[in-house]
Amino acid sequence: MNAPRSTSPHASKSLFAKLRSWEAFLTFVLILVILVNSTLIPQYFTISNQINLFQLSIEKVIVALVMTFVIINAEIDLSVGSIMGLAACLFGWLFQNGVSAEMAIVIVMIAGGLAGALNGYFIAFVGLPSLVVTLATLIGFRGLARVLVEDRGITDFPDWFDALGQQGLVGPIPFSFFAFIVLFTIAFIILHRSAFGRLTYTIGNNREVAEFAGVNTAAVKMKIFVASGLVAAFAGLLYAARVGAVRGDVALGFELDIITLVLLGGVSIFGGSGTMVGTLLALLIVLNLRNGMALMNVTGHIQTGVIGVLLIVSVVLPRLDVTRIFKSRNPRGTRQ
Amino acid sequence: MEQPVLELRDISKNFGMTRALAHMSISLFPGEVHAVVGENGAGKSTMIKIMTGIYPPSSGALQVDGTTVTISGPHMAREKGIVAIYQEPMVFPDLDVAENIFISSTREGLIQNPARLRHKARQLLARVGISLDVERIASGLTLAEQQAVEIARALSQDVRVLIMDEPTASLSAHEAAQLRRIATKLAEDGVSVVYISHRLEEVFDIAHRVTVIRDGEHISTRPVSEVTSDGMISEMVGREFESLFEKSPSVARPEVILEVKDLAVDEIFSGVSFDLHYGEVLCMAGLVGARRTDIGLALFGIHPAGSGTVSFKGKPLVITSAAQAMKAGIAYVSEDRRKFGLAMPMPIRENITLATLGEFLSRWGLVKRKKEVEVAETFKKRLNIRTPDIEMAVGMLSGGNQQKVMLAKWLNMKPDLLIFDEPTRGVDVGAKAEVHDLIREFVAAGGAAIVISSDLPEVLAMGDRILVMREGRQMGILTHEEATQENIMALATGQTSTREVA
Repeated sequence: MNAPRSTSPHASKSLFAKLRSWEAFLTFVLILVILVNSTLIPQYFTISNQINLFQLSIEKVIVALVMTFVIINAEIDLSVGSIMGLAACLFGWLFQNGVSAEMAIVIVMIAGGLAGALNGYFIAFVGLPSLVVTLATLIGFRGLARVLVEDRGITDFPDWFDALGQQGLVGPIPFSFFAFIVLFTIAFIILHRSAFGRLTYTIGNNREVAEFAGVNTAAVKMKIFVASGLVAAFAGLLYAARVGAVRGDVALGFELDIITLVLLGGVSIFGGSGTMVGTLLALLIVLNLRNGMALMNVTGHIQTGVIGVLLIVSVVLPRLDVTRIFKSRNPRGTRQ
Repeated sequence: MEQPVLELRDISKNFGMTRALAHMSISLFPGEVHAVVGENGAGKSTMIKIMTGIYPPSSGALQVDGTTVTISGPHMAREKGIVAIYQEPMVFPDLDVAENIFISSTREGLIQNPARLRHKARQLLARVGISLDVERIASGLTLAEQQAVEIARALSQDVRVLIMDEPTASLSAHEAAQLRRIATKLAEDGVSVVYISHRLEEVFDIAHRVTVIRDGEHISTRPVSEVTSDGMISEMVGREFESLFEKSPSVARPEVILEVKDLAVDEIFSGVSFDLHYGEVLCMAGLVGARRTDIGLALFGIHPAGSGTVSFKGKPLVITSAAQAMKAGIAYVSEDRRKFGLAMPMPIRENITLATLGEFLSRWGLVKRKKEVEVAETFKKRLNIRTPDIEMAVGMLSGGNQQKVMLAKWLNMKPDLLIFDEPTRGVDVGAKAEVHDLIREFVAAGGAAIVISSDLPEVLAMGDRILVMREGRQMGILTHEEATQENIMALATGQTSTREVA
């Protein structure tokens, strides 16, 4: 559909075409947000605020990286918030029952991988729609998390664990920031430079074409969902470390924020197009926008409303591009 | 002469810098079948889109019944009685035939009476001489039946100009003949039929007048009695034309590459047995529903065979997946580019390397883009793929060039056996000859080819031997010397049955 990847090469040299690319538009919005913030808010450009704005949403931001793969593959994973919650609660429960924190981390990561594999099995091999499967596991995994922890919070984790989430690892920069840089780099290389990334796009565009080219499309989908589970579990642990406590409602509803980030980044909900840079720009915009609004004492509800408007604009805007509708030949290649 | 229903006067259409139509003029009269021929990219599609209001013209005028009008969209075109149907019909798979026919009808009011709809649907289908259960769900219809639904839909809207864009490209000879009868009958009823086809014999069969267009320009309009096939083709391609579809001498060698015995897929086809030699072209002929594609899919592992044996390059081979067939050296070029062949929004380069991505990986599993570009550029030159840039989305190319990209993808695999399923469907004359040359080159280099085709002249021009299928049964194998259009059709329609194996 609106495939930013396949913009016409004839026009790619002109400035006009560059402005039309979604990434360029996002960059423009990001600069605007930063300019407005730094003009209106004196404490915006301090190091502590910059770290703070990043750290507060780090879990969602990390999961958005894998969600980019999931949606480009023309699937959806609604269960990531619940897997994050389950991971945090499982960690708390294990720790409370005398398992060492190190061991608990290992078990939680395995559980995350298994949770993703459960999704992947039903989607890739049984062939059920991911919307249905992950809606079911969204409920299931959340239920499990609540059973483990019930209504009381679990806290008093080891100091090194809390420190990982709350203090700087190198100077004031926390562990999660480095984790994000590493994960983003890996995700970028896999999506844009590796065969796996190529197949992710191809399957998202047309699974049959990939099948007819001898690609094991089920295996690709399975790997993506396992990665989604693993990364969500990792993000759940980061959450536990940052807050220093877990409860049954950890990361409740995060999946929608994460999907919003990815769609805002220009990934088509129909699959097949989008870029890692688009996702990065989208999350920088949302983080800075929220931070700016928070510093200006805008309430959370209005913040959410603004993000919602942004998402609607991001979906509508590419469709208002009249030049694209009348571009020579049908870009979707449906009819000749 | 009477007044034209629809007339284009000096119409031009530009897309940015590209001129798709230049000073096009054409008049359509009631009661005539007006054939429009031209190579892919000649501007036929643009012309249809202007007639049906999808594109506004850049300059020039459109006249309906002698009055200049502005057709601002498909809806308005329909009100004026101008309807187009395409080679791939638009049906809603979950609705039944009657519902599909009346899908865009506003006259039925808000609340539809299903019994009345069905009755009216039956009448419309009877008018075009087709018997079809109006309560059948559309997803189970053959392409030909879907087209009948589209024509009936057009009739339900009091069509005055019916534009048929390559309606028979996907049909078997028998179905195509039936469709041509429908077109003729509609013209007798006073409808002006615009008939666009790559099959020139069809044009001679039904058209009253023929318009040739090339590079967006009007070349000629003549009564069909004044044109010849060769003259028409040289006008289309803009150069002198020597007979394209003559059989070249066989390069088959004595060694057998593929031996198929009693191959069957439950309830689809059975009893398929043949052998294939290195350097040989075996054509599979038959009507739609003869299950030729299913044989291709079984040999390529998409729908593995239920019983029977296959021996490939002297060894028994049980094919259960496409990956395995490819490893053995078998490739399959699908008949359906959009569904199974190409990822349309993706670049030409990425489509060409898809089947052989493993060969383009560095030690770290990363794609070597430079090597990809080299290979794609090589194929662009070798197959004469007409595109300014290999990074362009493959969906932006014309049908013939898309076909070449798909061939490039499989040729790069360097297979020993290539199965071509309708390799020239919806492809213009020039590209068709190029595809034929490619197949000949491929077998001359030692490969073996199975060509599934509904185009009888193509079957006769390409096949060293011709295997004829009918409703999942192998009816016989003819050598090139024995084969004629008549005896192939006789086998395909079940009028005779030979079982000799050449």
